[in-house]
Amino acid sequence: MESAFSRYRNLIVLFALLVAQILGLAMQVRRTGEGISTANPKDASGVRLIRLWAQLLVAPPERAIHSTKITAVELWQNYIDLRQVRRQNQNLQDTIDRLRLEQASLLEDARQGQRLQALLDFQHRYIYSTLAAQAIGSSGTDQSRVFYLDKGSNYGLKPDMAVITADGIVGKVREVFPRTAQVLAINDQTSGAGVILATTRIRGILTGNADGQLEIVGILADERIKPGEKVLTAGGDLVFPRGLPVGEVEKVVRDPDRDAFIDVILKPAAHLGSLDEVLVITSTEPHLSPVQQQDLATSEAVKGDEAEAIKDQLKASEIMAERLPGLINPNLPPDQQPLLDTSKPNPAAPPPQPLHPDRFTPGANPQTSPDGEDAPNSAAPVEPQSAKPQTAKPQTAKPERNP
Amino acid sequence: MSVLGAGSRRELEIRRYPLLLYALVPLASLVLQAWLPRVLGRYAWFDLPLVVTIYFALGRRSPIQGTVMGAIMGLLEDALTHHAIGINGVALTVVGFVAASLGVRVAVENHTIRLALIFLLSLFSSAIVIFTSRVLLGLDLDLHWFAELLRAIGNSLIAMVLFPLLDRLQIRE
Repeated sequence: MESAFSRYRNLIVLFALLVAQILGLAMQVRRTGEGISTANPKDASGVRLIRLWAQLLVAPPERAIHSTKITAVELWQNYIDLRQVRRQNQNLQDTIDRLRLEQASLLEDARQGQRLQALLDFQHRYIYSTLAAQAIGSSGTDQSRVFYLDKGSNYGLKPDMAVITADGIVGKVREVFPRTAQVLAINDQTSGAGVILATTRIRGILTGNADGQLEIVGILADERIKPGEKVLTAGGDLVFPRGLPVGEVEKVVRDPDRDAFIDVILKPAAHLGSLDEVLVITSTEPHLSPVQQQDLATSEAVKGDEAEAIKDQLKASEIMAERLPGLINPNLPPDQQPLLDTSKPNPAAPPPQPLHPDRFTPGANPQTSPDGEDAPNSAAPVEPQSAKPQTAKPQTAKPERNP
Repeated sequence: MSVLGAGSRRELEIRRYPLLLYALVPLASLVLQAWLPRVLGRYAWFDLPLVVTIYFALGRRSPIQGTVMGAIMGLLEDALTHHAIGINGVALTVVGFVAASLGVRVAVENHTIRLALIFLLSLFSSAIVIFTSRVLLGLDLDLHWFAELLRAIGNSLIAMVLFPLLDRLQIRE
């Protein structure tokens, strides 16, 4: 027995290790209702422990290498960027001051929009809080397009948080460790996100293919889909907020498995191959800092002053409107209003009676005073017959020449 | 290709390295394998843990050591992905065993033979990965053979540089 063991010990060790690993694999894979095998989305505690050990082993050197690279690049860039930095700083400070107020104003609008959307039972979400993180490592293989962030649960990261850049979406947090987090990129074969084509408003599911390209699957053939069309997140996957850029259509190919369907290949908006800094959306609920709250109060005060000014203007215009003459005579009963008199096709309003008629008043009889000034008219009302063309007397118009 | 008896070759040419090297080189290969694809993007056609496993298996000429080392490296490689842990583990376990078994029978000092072995074992590893994931586990995992071919070539080129460097670090009696 001993000799048999020593003779076949190599094969026994190989066999034992293979059996142990295959058993371990069998426990990690499950079969869905449709008969498709898939890896468990949530790792068992033992598997998670192995991943944690691997991360503890690999992450510190990775972090050191990444920090060294960043430091070297920053040193060089700092040297280059030193020129004119003061003026740029002043400009940026001004911009920040302006943007802070604008942001507060927009925030108020967004909150109002949220309230209205809540009334309409929409489930759209807004980004309120993000955390910047560095991508420090990857899985090292094309079959698993994941990468690692230098921040983990210590910074409040949780699974299924969306990861974005300024250009577009990148992926979602899959696994969180104390100091690192694993992010599943959107171009992995197992990833999925709800997207919508911006122009044609066609919805589909975004996933990755073996080449690392983004593709939208499950779309019926549609000739309206053209290269260059923008693609946005649809917001229905409970991971990515609605309206974030995903990419643009690169080409449309037939689905090899289903005749009536097409696959839309996308050019990603974010540079998935060279990610450095990313943003993790940590909250879609508003958490305002004291400065933001102060800005918001300032914005609301400014908006309140403007509203008061507009209200004052409206009030003044109403008063003016009341004082101006109108076509309605308040002294006449409603059925005798001139507007209701159909005998006159174009009823003209009677001329208003002047308080102090002068020679220019229609129907007035101008008289010239001996000293050349117009004599004050009597307070008696002007009779209609006096409205003859007496003003045609030229001498009365030039009293200075006939004293 | 010179072929000797297994016992005599093992007695004569077992390579020994400083103990620290057994820890640092595999660790460095894992770290670089995780970091370099971020720099090189889609052109990262190599598998450093596989290369290191084959090197130590060929040098030590011990199937048990090669098997255990392959298993550890493969499991750690799997742990960095989001796939089930063990797919690469199975592949590198078998590759470590085969490399060590070949090292007993083949003159691995010859660079051409080394490169040919690296190339073939890389393809063999890819085949095991596909077999494990598709046949054993029934996972729908696409793999491009052209990419695997490029990876095998990349591994061979890296081995051309890495193996002579590591040879210098062995303990000579």
